[in-house]
Amino acid sequence: MSARVVVAGSGAICAAGKSPGEIWDAVWTGRPAIRPIRQWDASGWPTSLAGEIAGLDPRDLVEDRKVHRLLQRSDLLGLYAAGRALDDSGFVAYREALEPTAAAAVNDRTGVYVGLGGGGFQNEYEFFPLLTTANGDLGAFGRELAATVNPMWLLRSMPNNVLCHVGIRYGLKGPNACVTNHSVSGSLAVAEAAAALRAGEADRALAVGHDAPIEPQMVLYYHQLGLLSADGLWPFDARRSGSLLGEGAAALVLETETAAAARHVRVFGEFLGSGCTTEAEGLLAIRADGDGLAGAIALALDDAGIRPAEVGMVVAHGSGTRRSDASEAAAIRRVFGATAPPVTAFKWAFGHPLAAAGILDSVLALVALRHGVVPGVATLRELDPDLGNLPVSARPQAPRSDVALVLNRGFGGSNTALVLRAAASEAS
Amino acid sequence: MTGRPRRVAITGLGLVTPVGNDVAATWRALLAGRSGVAPITHFDASGFPVRIAGEVKGFDPRHAIEDRKLLKFADRSHALALVAAEEALRDAGIRPEGSDATRWACVVGSGKATLGFGQLGEVHRRCAPDGHFHPDRLLADGFMMDPRAFYRSQTCIGLALLLHRFGIRGYASAVHTACASGSQAVGTAMKLIRRGTADYALAGGFDSMINPIGLASFCLLGALSPDNETPERASRPFDATRNGFVLGEGAGLLVLEAWDAARRRGARIYAELAGDGNSLSSYRITDSHPSGDGPIQAMRQALAAAGVLPEEVDYVNAHGTSTLMNDRSECAAVRAVFGSHAGQIGVSSTKSLMGHLIAGAGAVEAAVCALAIHRGVLPVNANLVAPDSECDLDFVRGQPRVRRIRVAISNSFGFGGSNSCLALRNPDEVEA
Repeated sequence: MSARVVVAGSGAICAAGKSPGEIWDAVWTGRPAIRPIRQWDASGWPTSLAGEIAGLDPRDLVEDRKVHRLLQRSDLLGLYAAGRALDDSGFVAYREALEPTAAAAVNDRTGVYVGLGGGGFQNEYEFFPLLTTANGDLGAFGRELAATVNPMWLLRSMPNNVLCHVGIRYGLKGPNACVTNHSVSGSLAVAEAAAALRAGEADRALAVGHDAPIEPQMVLYYHQLGLLSADGLWPFDARRSGSLLGEGAAALVLETETAAAARHVRVFGEFLGSGCTTEAEGLLAIRADGDGLAGAIALALDDAGIRPAEVGMVVAHGSGTRRSDASEAAAIRRVFGATAPPVTAFKWAFGHPLAAAGILDSVLALVALRHGVVPGVATLRELDPDLGNLPVSARPQAPRSDVALVLNRGFGGSNTALVLRAAASEAS
Repeated sequence: MTGRPRRVAITGLGLVTPVGNDVAATWRALLAGRSGVAPITHFDASGFPVRIAGEVKGFDPRHAIEDRKLLKFADRSHALALVAAEEALRDAGIRPEGSDATRWACVVGSGKATLGFGQLGEVHRRCAPDGHFHPDRLLADGFMMDPRAFYRSQTCIGLALLLHRFGIRGYASAVHTACASGSQAVGTAMKLIRRGTADYALAGGFDSMINPIGLASFCLLGALSPDNETPERASRPFDATRNGFVLGEGAGLLVLEAWDAARRRGARIYAELAGDGNSLSSYRITDSHPSGDGPIQAMRQALAAAGVLPEEVDYVNAHGTSTLMNDRSECAAVRAVFGSHAGQIGVSSTKSLMGHLIAGAGAVEAAVCALAIHRGVLPVNANLVAPDSECDLDFVRGQPRVRRIRVAISNSFGFGGSNSCLALRNPDEVEA
C-alpha cells in the first residue's frame, strides 16, 4: 500500500493578496485585482492590464537582504510562499524540538519540488550597457565583460534558484525536482512530490509554484500570439477575448499521513491523485474536443480511486481565451456528461500566473471546500451559449462533496488534473 | 498489481556530442581518448578570457529531420535533441503509435531560457542603444519582434518540439536543476514507468550555452579553464593541475521501457535503469560541501532504490567537472558511500573529453554508462597525469579498461546543490 498524502500547510501571494486568507477574501467577495500595469508605463499598449502585485518590496518578502541580488522577482515570490507554507505547517518549530541527529534525519527525509515558468527576459537586459560599449564588436564585448557585468549574473538567472535557496534557508536535503514546463509546472511539482511520498522516498515535501511574467517584451509576445485580451479576463463568458498575465507564487506542505500524525499537526486536506497528458499537436495548438484534458482528468480520477460523481467541484483552468475555455468545457462534458459538479475558475481575480497557477488554485480549492462553498466567477455576465450547460455561475454554488478537481493547461498541449480532498472542518 | 515496482529497461540510445554526432562515433572517440574540445568557432570569441569549448562539429539537423518548419522553432540545443531522439527511437525499434501514444512519457532536462544573442542584440539596437531599456520603443513602427524567438526562448519548447515531432501523448515534463538536469529527467522518467504512469519514455537532456551570453556567464564566475593554448588538455578532472571546467554542448536521449514488455518483444536491453537518488546539499549556491554531504545521500538513495549493495558497483561515471572543489568533494562522497570497496571501482569522467554539457551532461553520461555495461568496457578519464592527492580513487587512465560491469552509477551535481545519481545494472544480473 502506498502512503496517504495529506496537506499540512499552505502559503500564497498574488495580485489579490499576500496570504491564502486575503486572496480568498478577494475571490469570495468578487473583487478582481486586475489593474493597469505599473512596472512601466503601458498606457497605449495593446494590452495594458495585468494582475500585478502592487507595492512589491523585496524586503517584505525575504528578510535576508544578502540574497536579494542573487534572485529575480519570481524567485522572491517563490521563497516567500515557501516560507509561509513551512511556517503554517509548524515544521520549523517541530524540528527545533528534536535532537540534532533526529533533526538531520528529518532534513534528509524532507523534499522540495518547485515549478516555474522559466521565462523572463529582463535579466538578460543587464547585458545592454555592455552591448552599447561593444558597439557591435564581439571582441570588445569579451574584453569589457568583466568590467561591466555583475560577476554573479548567471546565478541570478538560474531556474532552480527557489529550490536551492529554500533548501539552504531551511536546511532541507531530501529528494527534489525543478519543473520548467510553462503553466503546468506547479501542478507537476505537486504530482512528483506526492509520488515521492507515496513511494516512501520522503516523509514530507514542500511543493512550490512561482512565476512573474509581466515584463514589456513578454506582454508583447503574448499579445502577438493572440493570447491576451485588451479589455479584461472573462472566463467562459460570451464576450471573452483572451487572457491576462498575472504573477505570484503558492506552496503546499505535503506529508505522509503517518509523518503528520507523528507530529500531531493540523491537516487541511488530502492529495488523492494526479493525471498528466499532452496533445502533441503543436506548440500552441489545442484540440477543440478537449481530448487531452479529458484524458488527464480520467487519469487523475483513476489515480485517486474515485468516480466522476464523487467530485464536488471543478476549479477550471479558465484562462479566458476563446479556444482554451471552449475545449475545457468540452472536456468537462466528456468526463461528467450532463451531471457535472459546480465549476469555477480563479484567474479572473488575479490574472494568469502561469507556473504558479496550479498550486495557487489548489490552495484556494481547499479553502473553498473548508468553507463549503464554490465561489462564483464574479466577472461572468453571460455564459457563452456554445459551451453547453457548463455549471459555472457568477454566484456561489454548493459543492457536491469534499473533493475538488483542479485543472491546468500549458504550452505544448500540456494538461494536468489534481484531485484534492478537504479535511473535515473543525466546526463540523 | 504486484508488490514490487516494475523494472525499467534501457532499449534505445541517441547522442549528439562534441566527440561524435551519433552513438557509434561518440563511443569510438571515448575509447580512443579523442577530445572534442577545440577553439570556439560558433562566434568570434577572440576577446573573451576563455576561447575554447566542446562544440558539436559539422552538425546539420536537416539530415535527420525533414520537417523544416519544425526546425525554424528550434534553437541549437533543441535541434541537437531532435536528432538524438530520432536516433534513440530508431535504435530501440519502437515509436509512439496509435493508442500506445498515451502510454509514452517524455521527460527532458533542458537548458535555461534565453532570448538568443541575435534577438537580444535586436532589442538592444531598437530599445536600448544608450544601454538603458526603453520599453515604449518596442512599439515603434516597423519593429516586429520575431515570434519564433519567443518560442525558442521558452524552457518548455524543446519538450514541445519532441512531443510534436514524435507524437507522444502521455505524461510530459521539462526539468532544470542546472548541471543535474539531464540526470534528473532520466530518473523521473524511470519512476513514471515504475509507478505505472507510462510504459515507455523518451528521456534525456540537451543544452548549448556556447554563445556570447552563455560563455560570458561562466567567464564571469571564473569557473572555466583558461587553457586556451591546449584545448584538448584543458578538461582534466582529478588531475592535480586542473583549473576549471570546459563548456560543452550536446544532447543525449534514451528510450526506456517496462522490462517485461521489452523482453517480450525481444528488444536489445543495454541495461536496467535500476534506481535514482536526488538530494539537496543545502550548503552554498556555488560551493560543494568538502565532506561530500549531499552527493552522499543521492548515491545511497540510488543504490537503495536499485536494491544493490555498494560492493556490486564496478563503475562510477563521475560528475568530474575538473574544478578543485567538485572533484575533491565527489571523491570524499564516493569514499564515504563505498568505504573499502571504493578502491575496487573504476572511475572516469566523460567531461574529460567532451567538456561539460550542462543540462545535457547527466543524460549523455547515463547513456555512456549503458554503453559501458553493454560493451564491458570502461571509458578513460583523459588527461589525468598526476592525480590530486585528495582524489584517491581508481581512475581509468591511459587505456579503456575491459571489465564486466555488474552495476554502474552516474553522478550529476548541479549549481545550487541539486544532486542526482542514477544506478544502472547489467541485464545479465537481472534474475532470469
